[in-house]
Amino acid sequence: MRRVAPVIIAFLSGFVMVISFCFSPDKTVLGRIEPKLLSWVTIVGGFTLLLGVVSITRVNWQGVRRKKEGWGYKLLTLVSVYIMAIPAMLPSSWSPLFGDAEGSIYDWLFTYIDSPMMGTMFAMLAFYIASAAYRAFRARNPEATLLLTAAVLVMLWRIPMGEAFLRLFGENVPGFINTYLMGGVNAAVQRGIVIGAALGAASMSLRIMLGIERTYMGKG
Amino acid sequence: MNIWDRLARLDRRWIYLLVALAVIFPLIVPTTFKIHITPEARQLYDAVEALPDSSVVMLTFDYYPSTLAETEPMSIAALHHLFRKDCRVVTVTTIPLGGPSIAERVTRAVAAEHGKVYGVDYVNLGFKYGYVAVLKGMGSSIEAIYPTDNSSVPLSELPMMRSIRNYGDISFIYIVSDNAIVDYWISIVNAEYATPIGIGVTAVSAPKYYAFISSGQVTGLLGGMKGAAEYERLVSKEAMAFKGMAMQSLVHLLIIALVIAGNIGFFAGRRAKKRTAA
Repeated sequence: MRRVAPVIIAFLSGFVMVISFCFSPDKTVLGRIEPKLLSWVTIVGGFTLLLGVVSITRVNWQGVRRKKEGWGYKLLTLVSVYIMAIPAMLPSSWSPLFGDAEGSIYDWLFTYIDSPMMGTMFAMLAFYIASAAYRAFRARNPEATLLLTAAVLVMLWRIPMGEAFLRLFGENVPGFINTYLMGGVNAAVQRGIVIGAALGAASMSLRIMLGIERTYMGKG
Repeated sequence: MNIWDRLARLDRRWIYLLVALAVIFPLIVPTTFKIHITPEARQLYDAVEALPDSSVVMLTFDYYPSTLAETEPMSIAALHHLFRKDCRVVTVTTIPLGGPSIAERVTRAVAAEHGKVYGVDYVNLGFKYGYVAVLKGMGSSIEAIYPTDNSSVPLSELPMMRSIRNYGDISFIYIVSDNAIVDYWISIVNAEYATPIGIGVTAVSAPKYYAFISSGQVTGLLGGMKGAAEYERLVSKEAMAFKGMAMQSLVHLLIIALVIAGNIGFFAGRRAKKRTAA
């Protein structure tokens, strides 16, 4: 039953959503089921967030208690989770420090700690990309040369100085890059990827509905 | 060790130093450049410009704080444009971490400049879990998905929201995003409800959406800081992105120079090896 019930629920949920798509929500019962099921997705999703907090607490707390390698980081993770979550959940009517409005603990932590840290992590990519470009971007074969040329052209096109440089070869050169490289070759390839991914998603959904794909239950 | 070997084994810390200098230099010596407008940015501007005054526009803040440098200038420029046209703005986010706070901070700041009033001219709906359900659900009823705004005020108490029930009452959706949520806005909202969508995304995601421009599913595209600078210029509010172009220009040129130097070293080293072997 533990294996059959989730498959039945997955099949019914998927089937009803597919069928109700074809019916008007104003005129038919089937059509009205879709928004109701979607509300349930939000409600169930809220509980999965709670499950995530319980899981992160359990896993990290065990690591801290047993003083596993890197237990200090695990402790920091736990402190961070609760120091952000608890003041944000308390009603702001108790104190202006609670809730998530401007001036609250959550807002302060987000603005002055979380936001700069995330920005720093992302900004560091520029250094790694520059170093990696120098070491790895080599014109070893015709394909790599083509990629390298396209990359250099796009990089030049995306900056005002580069665009001015490209205009030295012809007023329409940046326009050609936009039309033929980005709107032509690039768009064609991206379209192929998007269609391929959509077909893959459709077949995966079908596999889940028919119970062929069961990895979401934690088993193959 | 000859010069080519040295070039090939250049300590990466020198590269890091050069990148740091390329970023810092424009801060010390401010430089501005002429920004040319791409047809995609112009298309987005024209689409907003063509909206009747006091239209309802949904503006999304679907980005994390890590990409603020690229995305926030787009949101600010978009808000200037929308408020200047007296559009009523509904802001939403599918990002729990920061999305609602960024939307609140940015929208209130720009709205104050234009003398706009919360609840009458703009509303921040905030975040709700489950983006697919949220995007689909708002097609039937926004109030069913967001019974209250980001500050827990019931939508029925906000004058602006009394006449906005679903996508049918929204003239345009302006998405600013740093992730693949744009795909869902296109495949769910544009495809099912035919609401026109314009997008501003990070430079790394922009190439993907050219396919949707040519198919007509997306009306206009801003790509990265350059796209934001273009829109700032279009709305005559040159600010963060416009200034950032100097840094981006130098770093791009530096990377191109490094790629060329790396390849010269690679080919020269290979030729030297062949000569030695012969």
